[in-house]
Amino acid sequence: MSFHLDTVMLSRIQFAITSIFHMFWPILTIGMSWYLVIMEILWLKTQNPDFYRHARFWSKLYILNFGLGVASGVAIEFEFGANWAPFSVAVGDFLGSILGFEGTMAFMLEAAFLGIMIYGWKKVPPIMHLLATTFVAIGATLSSFWIIVANSWMQTPAGGEMVNGKFIVHSYLEAILNPAALNSWFHMILAILETALFVIGGISAWYILQKRHQAFFSKSFKIAIALAVLITPLQIVVGHLSGEQVYHNQPTKLAAIEALWETVPAGESGPWNILVAPNVREGKNNWALSIPGGLSRVLEMKPHLSQPVLGLNEWRPQDRPHGVSLIFYTFRIMAGIGFLLLGLMIVSVIQWLRGKLAVENITEQPWLLRAWMLAAPLGYVAVECGWMVREVGRQPWIVYGQIRTADAASHVPAGNVLVSLISYTSIYLLLFACALYFGSRIIRQGPDLELPAPNHTFLDDRNQENITATESEISWKL
Amino acid sequence: MEAINSILPLLWFGLVALFLTLYLITDGFDLGVGILTLTAANEENRGIIINTLSTVWDANETWLVCTGGLLYGAFPLAYATIVNALYIPITLMVIGFIFRAVAFEFREHSLNKTFWNFGFAGGSLLVALSQGLVLGGVIAGIKVDEAGNFIGGTWDWLNLPSILVALSVVQGYILIGSTYLIFKTEGELKEYHYMTAKFSSITTLIGAMALTIATPMFYESVRNKIFHQPEILIFESIPVIATGVMVLLINSINRREDRMPFVWTIVIFLITILSLAFVVFPYIIPFQVTIYQASSSLSAQAFMIAFIGFFVPIILFYNIYLYRVFQGKVFSSHYGD
Repeated sequence: MSFHLDTVMLSRIQFAITSIFHMFWPILTIGMSWYLVIMEILWLKTQNPDFYRHARFWSKLYILNFGLGVASGVAIEFEFGANWAPFSVAVGDFLGSILGFEGTMAFMLEAAFLGIMIYGWKKVPPIMHLLATTFVAIGATLSSFWIIVANSWMQTPAGGEMVNGKFIVHSYLEAILNPAALNSWFHMILAILETALFVIGGISAWYILQKRHQAFFSKSFKIAIALAVLITPLQIVVGHLSGEQVYHNQPTKLAAIEALWETVPAGESGPWNILVAPNVREGKNNWALSIPGGLSRVLEMKPHLSQPVLGLNEWRPQDRPHGVSLIFYTFRIMAGIGFLLLGLMIVSVIQWLRGKLAVENITEQPWLLRAWMLAAPLGYVAVECGWMVREVGRQPWIVYGQIRTADAASHVPAGNVLVSLISYTSIYLLLFACALYFGSRIIRQGPDLELPAPNHTFLDDRNQENITATESEISWKL
Repeated sequence: MEAINSILPLLWFGLVALFLTLYLITDGFDLGVGILTLTAANEENRGIIINTLSTVWDANETWLVCTGGLLYGAFPLAYATIVNALYIPITLMVIGFIFRAVAFEFREHSLNKTFWNFGFAGGSLLVALSQGLVLGGVIAGIKVDEAGNFIGGTWDWLNLPSILVALSVVQGYILIGSTYLIFKTEGELKEYHYMTAKFSSITTLIGAMALTIATPMFYESVRNKIFHQPEILIFESIPVIATGVMVLLINSINRREDRMPFVWTIVIFLITILSLAFVVFPYIIPFQVTIYQASSSLSAQAFMIAFIGFFVPIILFYNIYLYRVFQGKVFSSHYGD
């Protein structure tokens, strides 16, 4: 793959780096917000202050992520105009409206109630607090919905047409519910929940392995396993449907995912590549390790293809993606992690059913606990890989089949972009290291198990703190 | 149809201006407080000062995210051209935001807080300065082709008036930050910020006067606009009214009032923003591209107003609720206490 560092390439690299960095933080803030909702409901239902302490402990990690997510998100919002002005003008009718929606109906909800969720424990009654946390979770989830809608529309544009270089929307509903939208959003929200679960489970496993607060963290560990029972298999089904959607709507991306250069006609089954060395210049694989007859089974779960699968050589080199190795391997890493996490869930459930995960003997499962610790970062890897498949696979288009990436960049001198790129990259590296450092400090410090839970008589005695404090002590001694 | 065609861009201009105003006031004090942490006497005081923001800063900053999104949706051309032309100050602003946002939590967890204290204050100052440069750059005029696309140079935004605007914006933010701290703290801190409020009200006044004289002097386009009948009456009365409010503000500071300095500062912000809107209107890229030329299609604006118009009162409602929950003085440097 040859490229020279012009404004377009530098703008692409900058956008890639800023979005890869941004992606790390909302995963945990969205996923964990729902986990916090569950903790608060459990606390209110059982009155067990441990659930309250869980909420307080995990929200420390949440808030660490939130600041990074906001800041890196603002960077992306302004990059649309700064680095991709022609694109922004051409698709402003649709993309602008969607970003406006994201800000006003989703992100504002999250940002405003976040203040109450994190700092409002002593200011509002528990039920109001639960409501605030729920609003944070809804806002964050809606945010992800609108962002995925915007990006999906770039993958499978619908609901209008290009007129004189501008996209005119005929039907907003069609544009929002473009072929990729719902499927991609399900895939993404499941990925978010799955990653957050394995982070929570992995950190809990670390504590259990250290024999620190075993009973406390067995709770979160088991909740993570229980939720993984639902989510890990579902994600594989939705992931498969996502692949089918790409198969139907973005044939160049599918061909790159499979490193398929020559068309496989209908009725045949085709090989499914495991390892390849793509040669983009000559339009072939230098070598390939593949399962004969695997392609039709992977794509359609049938022994023979019902329709031809187009190979990359069907398109001129300038009309197909060039990062074939990247797309091919990141896809396999993503899918592989999906199956790995499914496997870990199954093993964990078996051990649970055999009674091996009771608080007394859970530490006798060091390998399982270590596997969970190792699995903690895997969700992030899978998400980042998935996005690389999605974005690099869309090339050379910024809006698939409609606007080329090369025509979409602002006319900014390359030197400016280089300077901003270097600035973002160095700042982000620093912040990434700091986030890991402070995150691990929070984890090493551990939860405050002495923390008294706010009392439910809060509303009646807002001003008589002494009385409520004694009452709460009595109530949980009982 | 013709009527809707002209009303919708007008409505959107108003809505974007409303969001921008809410942003400038809320994040204005937010950034001002950030800059003021530089002068905090000790770590405890700095903690209390920052804690006055902990619950509201993200909502405040979100007004900008919304303003950006709405400007993009309603006037894509203006959004793209302005942000593209002001590549450097916008990037600096984003970098300032990044340091500010992470410093909130990082300083709480770090043993040596010095780096993140500077990150927080320096980030706030950088954001304030670059927003001033953006404003100055927009007033200075952006070179565009017939289609409204940016064709100017990298450094067009950097000149004497824009530096003056940037410095005045910093003063204005320090003023509103000081009066916010008067309102949110007690004792030694409160007394100290009466002083910074008084000082910055005078520097803000000087900056505003210099700008009122310099901008029409430097820019013919501004001159043409404001010395035109009958607008001249409005533009002549604005400095008089603003000076009057400034006197009220300084009076309330001298009388050591609790809430009024903040209120008067907000009034000054409103007058400033309103007069800027008067100067700019009906242009959105001043004196080059009007709101009608920069508008997205009628259907896009109609579609957006239907949904976002519905959400605006809801947003305002829960933001007010947020401020009510956390009303009252802040005494502790620990978040949430």
